[in-house]
Amino acid sequence: MEIVVCIKPVPEPETRLRAAPDGRILDPEGVKYVLTGYDESAVEQALLLKESVPGSKVRAVSFGPSPRAEETLRAAVALGCDSATWIDSGAEPSPDPVDVARALAGTLRSLPHDLVLCGKQAGDDEAGLVAGALGELLGVPDFGYVVDLRWDAARSVFTFHRMTETLQESWEAPGPLVIGLQQAWNDPRTAKLPAILKSRKAPIDKVPVPAPDAHASRSRATTFALPPPRAGAKLIEYKTPEEAAERLVKVLREEAKVFP
Amino acid sequence: MSGAVLVVGELREGRLVPSVTEAVGAARAISGPGTPIVGFVAGPSTDAATKEFGRLGVPDVRTASDPRFDRAPVSALAAFVAQAAGDAGADLVLVPGTTFGRDLVGRLGIRWNAAAVTGVTEVQRADGAWQVRRPIFGGRATETRRLDGARAVVGLRPHAYAPPPDAPVDVRSTAVAPREPPANLWVPKRVAEEPVASGSGPSLTDASIVVSGGRGLRAPENFHLVDELAASLGAAVGASRAVTDAGWRPSSLQVGQTGKAVSPQLYLAVGISGAIQHIVGMVSSRVIVAINSDATAPIFKVADYGVVGDLFQIVPALTAEIRRVRSA
Ligand SMILES: Cc1cc2nc3c(=O)[nH]c(=O)nc-3n(C[C@H](O)[C@H](O)[C@H](O)COP(=O)(O)OP(=O)(O)OC[C@H]3O[C@@H](n4cnc5c(N)ncnc54)[C@H](O)[C@@H]3O)c2cc1C
Repeated sequence: MEIVVCIKPVPEPETRLRAAPDGRILDPEGVKYVLTGYDESAVEQALLLKESVPGSKVRAVSFGPSPRAEETLRAAVALGCDSATWIDSGAEPSPDPVDVARALAGTLRSLPHDLVLCGKQAGDDEAGLVAGALGELLGVPDFGYVVDLRWDAARSVFTFHRMTETLQESWEAPGPLVIGLQQAWNDPRTAKLPAILKSRKAPIDKVPVPAPDAHASRSRATTFALPPPRAGAKLIEYKTPEEAAERLVKVLREEAKVFP
Repeated sequence: MSGAVLVVGELREGRLVPSVTEAVGAARAISGPGTPIVGFVAGPSTDAATKEFGRLGVPDVRTASDPRFDRAPVSALAAFVAQAAGDAGADLVLVPGTTFGRDLVGRLGIRWNAAAVTGVTEVQRADGAWQVRRPIFGGRATETRRLDGARAVVGLRPHAYAPPPDAPVDVRSTAVAPREPPANLWVPKRVAEEPVASGSGPSLTDASIVVSGGRGLRAPENFHLVDELAASLGAAVGASRAVTDAGWRPSSLQVGQTGKAVSPQLYLAVGISGAIQHIVGMVSSRVIVAINSDATAPIFKVADYGVVGDLFQIVPALTAEIRRVRSA
């Protein structure tokens, strides 16, 4: 099985956020970009499938500028991906995720793929647009919010679950398929030191970013803002639990106006 | 300038889900009085939903009534939405903030050649283009994006807009007939489904009030305190990962980075310390209340109101007080 996993370099979760001097986007100065969250789960899921389906290969693909995209790809190789493709985005610091999907689709058309895995959404912009856009561009079905993706060799179908607001759905679908992954069936593994060292020398196939389609509608970031710092909780003063309850209900009704 | 606004419907047991009603509210709030608002709904039967659109004041509904939509993937549906948007002369499609909606936006953006964004809390017309605001980084920042081009698909965040008041009108429904989507898009099959355990209240991501319990409850047999508080408020029950990992409650109730992101009007955290992975799943709630015995717990930094105290005393008193004022 040929598996492609699409990963995005994202600021590490502890990053102190602040706007870039132009006020449009996150200031990338001094920020460390890593493989995070759902993308980590997508890599884990790809490796689990590879281990359970003999003869499988996993290729990691990342769109982004240097050096963060290469570094993220090396992290994926250290975890066990067989090969890596870097789509060099050049300088554009905050592309429209749909344009990213266009670039990924351009690259994927010349790579074998029975399964394309993405994280359900990126840890920074939380857009969750890539899987759907990629599915449409490649002409294959896509599913987001997927957990527990498996390959049923006897029937040649993928099986998986999706959690909606009220249901856990079970699905079956043959490949090729694009999946926006919520969770793999194991927690993401960590890379071992020898593998990390080896990944530093791993070859990375570099492809240029395609010229953007001038006619496409797209969104672009115009401001990046931090919410006003929360003042901290207003603490309810009380002598008895009953008094605490009474006062809390009163402020929720009269001040916060959230309660019936 | 502007064309129609198309609101994408979603059915649950034959009825429109609450997020669709909110999307109609959004359509009203952001468009001028002359702007047509058009509904879209697909399903095995679309009559009841069409009537519901009419009750909300939407006179024009585009329908795709087809038994295949009972179990079809979103992938096959996008062509129908794109066709409806084109037929209706829309320049904006509003998509509800549900799992279904989230899955639709990216595909529809490509299909309809429109700018596409998700998780939006505010839509505005500015300098001849749609402009949206959306929380990013788990609510730790917000961005504004401008949607360039003639068309836009905007996925809303749950509870960002209020449902409109009822304003019944006569409805005309028109069938949508796009070119048949490629056969492979129909092939995936939903083979089973079971209700997600959500207690007896509303579902976690729909609810306008959420009460979540954490490790502070000490043992699974104490969790009924949270259930009862939620029931008194008509709220959904959530939990921290400490609770779901320990198996006290199913993982479908987990709020946070690796669980669900919720943004209700009111979020009550009971015996939850406020780890960053929990915070990112609830920080965009409108009002946050924390009940915790440790005055230094980080949850009090994001909460609007706090009660420092023993939950085993505070929570029963609070449930009783709410029952009292509700029945008064
Ligand atoms: C990769 C990763 C992903 C994660 N994802 C999530 C996620 O999605 N969601 C999530 O919730 N967590 C997540 N976590 C776990 C998170 O870091 C915390 O461990 C977890 O949220 C703690 O749960 P808790 O607040 O219930 O428990 P604790 O941190 O143990 O807090 C219990 C609280 O209860 C209070 N308490 C105790 N007794 C009483 C009493 N009698 N009355 C009142 N208060 C009392 C204590 O003061 C304490 O503040 C994740 C962790 C990692 C590493």
